[in-house]
Amino acid sequence: MNEVMTEKAAQNFIDAYESARTVLPGADGWLARRRAAAIEAFAGAGLPHRRLEEWKYTDLRQTLDKAGFAPAPEHKGAVVLPETASASAFSALDRHVLVFVNGRYRADLSKAARLPKGVELRGLADVLTEQWAKDLLERRFDEARQAEQVVDLNTALMSDGMCLRIRKGVKLDKPVHLLFFAADDGASHTRNLVLLEEGAEGTILESHVGEAASFADIVTDVVLGNGARLDHVKLQDESANAVHLATLRGEVGAEARLSSFTLTLGCGVSRGQSFIRFAGEGAEAQVNGAYALRATQHADQFCVVDHAVPRCASNTVFKGVLDGQSEGVFQGKVIVRPDAQKTDGRQMTQALLLSRDAAMNAKPELEIYADDVQCAHGSTVGELSKDALFYLRSRGIPEAEARRLLVLAFLDDVIALAPHEEAREILRGLVSGWFEEASI
Amino acid sequence: MAAVRETVETVGEVEKYKYGFSTDIESEKAPLGLTEDTVRFISAKKNEPAWLLEWRLAAFRRWLTMTEPTWAKVTYPPIDFQDAYYYSAPKQQAKLDSLDQVDPKLLETYEKLGIPLTEQKMLAGVAVDAVFDSVSVVTTFKEKLAEAGVIFCPMSEAVAKHPELVKKYLGSVVPTSDNFYATLNSAVFSEGSFVYIPEGVRCPMELSTYFRINEKQTGQFERTLIIAEKGSCVSYLEGCTAPQRDENQLHAAVVELVALDDAEIKYSTVQNWFPGDEEGKGGVYNFVTKRGDCRGANSKISWTQVETGSAITWKYPSCILRGDNSRGEFYSIAISNGHQQVDSGTKMIHLGRNTTSRIISKGISAGKSSNTYRGLVSVHRKAENVRNFTQCDSLLIGSKCSAHTVPYVETKNPTAVLEHEATTSKISDDQLFYCMQRGIGEEEAVALIVNGFCRDVLQQLPMEFAVEAQKLVGISLEGSVG
Repeated sequence: MNEVMTEKAAQNFIDAYESARTVLPGADGWLARRRAAAIEAFAGAGLPHRRLEEWKYTDLRQTLDKAGFAPAPEHKGAVVLPETASASAFSALDRHVLVFVNGRYRADLSKAARLPKGVELRGLADVLTEQWAKDLLERRFDEARQAEQVVDLNTALMSDGMCLRIRKGVKLDKPVHLLFFAADDGASHTRNLVLLEEGAEGTILESHVGEAASFADIVTDVVLGNGARLDHVKLQDESANAVHLATLRGEVGAEARLSSFTLTLGCGVSRGQSFIRFAGEGAEAQVNGAYALRATQHADQFCVVDHAVPRCASNTVFKGVLDGQSEGVFQGKVIVRPDAQKTDGRQMTQALLLSRDAAMNAKPELEIYADDVQCAHGSTVGELSKDALFYLRSRGIPEAEARRLLVLAFLDDVIALAPHEEAREILRGLVSGWFEEASI
Repeated sequence: MAAVRETVETVGEVEKYKYGFSTDIESEKAPLGLTEDTVRFISAKKNEPAWLLEWRLAAFRRWLTMTEPTWAKVTYPPIDFQDAYYYSAPKQQAKLDSLDQVDPKLLETYEKLGIPLTEQKMLAGVAVDAVFDSVSVVTTFKEKLAEAGVIFCPMSEAVAKHPELVKKYLGSVVPTSDNFYATLNSAVFSEGSFVYIPEGVRCPMELSTYFRINEKQTGQFERTLIIAEKGSCVSYLEGCTAPQRDENQLHAAVVELVALDDAEIKYSTVQNWFPGDEEGKGGVYNFVTKRGDCRGANSKISWTQVETGSAITWKYPSCILRGDNSRGEFYSIAISNGHQQVDSGTKMIHLGRNTTSRIISKGISAGKSSNTYRGLVSVHRKAENVRNFTQCDSLLIGSKCSAHTVPYVETKNPTAVLEHEATTSKISDDQLFYCMQRGIGEEEAVALIVNGFCRDVLQQLPMEFAVEAQKLVGISLEGSVG
């Protein structure tokens, strides 16, 4: 019985592949073979479940079986965004904007004109004939292949995505904003490709909104050349019926810098995974995030930083506030390979439990094969400090206000790590708004 | 006898492991391999009652359906469980009335190991139960303990004399179905210590067990059970060694501790099984299940371990904090050198209100070794006001070794305050330079710095052990610098 149950969602994806095979981008070229191999591998492994150590706290198989997502339909015509702060989050900024509805690029709603010379910004289908896109799609990002299972699913079914290439030494003039809107129920598979050549710089803002019961499967592959610099700010605020699965795979060249920040507010079940590998010395990676959950929300942050070469620095900080019966998960791993001397690897996870029924699971791991390194990790879980509350109340601040101040202060120092200054302010506003709605 | 070939002479050459000799003593063994008959043989040898045989057989049948755990960060060739002896006992003519009748060769062995068995030679205050391969050889200080009402005897004797206690507590902390090695142990355990401290008694002396594997190709499967009744208190020490052999020997022990209301148990281990030679050949596989149950309110269980030996260590002394206000502690030093692999840590399961726990783990890896801390702190929904502090530091000596930290933190109660911190680093050149500049040799300087690094844990050991452990830390790291 159990076996039949568990295969349901996986079978749905395999069926979806069979029926869409001929119309998916790249159906007539090399990608078709790559997709066929990927779906075969996926069919063999199935969806990840709790018995896999990396998925110990999030049962994606069960979640998707229960939800039973069909492929999301292609949405044509006008789109009305919900009137939420998240939906209009980055709209006040001067930016290039790419809109994806149900996982498909909508040129008519996007606005990315007059890009600087040396910047290419296109949909997935348009770059498949180019060598750099092929290289990225075939690259093996994580040697441990921990992401493989879900990436195979994405490779087989990816229907669209944003592809950004910035040529050597070019700086993107303003942020690229990717707005993903789930207008209808169903599953979508998106693949974003980002290549920043030597010395290139750019900022990507990403927001995921919608009120549909959707499953967003997003894989973003990033390659940073020597000295390149990418800032990435992501906001996820989808509906309580939605499932979000985002995988970021990055390869960071010598002296390059990747700074990524994720704010998670929405979704019934979400999993954000990052796999960062250093390919050249002197590089730096920041993978940080904040989450605020309520009701029965479940958010899993999974982060692996692979110090494959010497003299790199990485920092991972995730902080979360858990209300209702929500559950937070942090799983992190810093790997320091033999010879990756002078590594500086840091990892921190902190969670604040606001309700009796909230739960937190953390597993910050270190795996170290070199001796001349500085590595540290920390993990704390607790409720609001009674002393701090008392202190504020004794100065005439009402309890509700005091709690708000303390929670916002708790999240503020991780939001301060978000790379783009104006985006940072927007995230602060969203967190504060989240708190207004919360019944704490 | 094959054992003679590789005995005392070799010890001189390899000073590092001075317990590497074996004793040429005639022994009685169970037939090679493991079948239901082996289990029956062991049970019959021990004159066990029917219920215990059934208990063993049930465990054995269960074991046949289980598979070895593979999640630990250790690698070794598959173990052939049929190519080992599961019972070995020194042959003796008749029942012994006093110490004088113990085979003098045996006594000599223990003397070499530095354990004064004869009461005359005893420093005041340590009662020893010595286990040689599969049987307990002698238990000292029996009368004095009996006066206080303390029962301290080999497990087989406890089965015969106090069956009601054994029946009540055996397997109540580590059930027979717990894990692969604990189940194996339940089927074939042959010896171990049994300790019972009656209500309100402070055990008048430190209790101690000494384990030694002597026979070739044998596994050692002891089972220790300590029960501390209400308001009682006991400190227990355990030490282990084995001869140097180029085959791998299996040690799969189970230790169960039960602390009732207001009771306190302190369990200290200095584990120095043979770690294998320079090429990583031989050594003991130390696959041990140790668990304490703070069953009563205000009870306390404290584990202290110094792990320097064994080719592979797979060991997680844990505390189940069931009683309100109970406390669990885990202090550990795990030193690995050569080709040793250590995967060790603890579990603190908070079930009761106001329970607290503290974990201090110091891992030191040198040579080509791998050293992993793996721990779990879990707070259940009804456990209010839980407090945990975890600190695990790793020190790396040399560029070929590795250190890993895998802590799990699971909380279902908002009133819990949990803190975890870990660092990994190497011995700083400044510290080393400082010592050497003052005329201290490099190896000695490393030992000194490492001792400082471990101080928090060493302080937890009972006095007699602390001194020895400090020396052991130095010895274990010999040959790791330069």
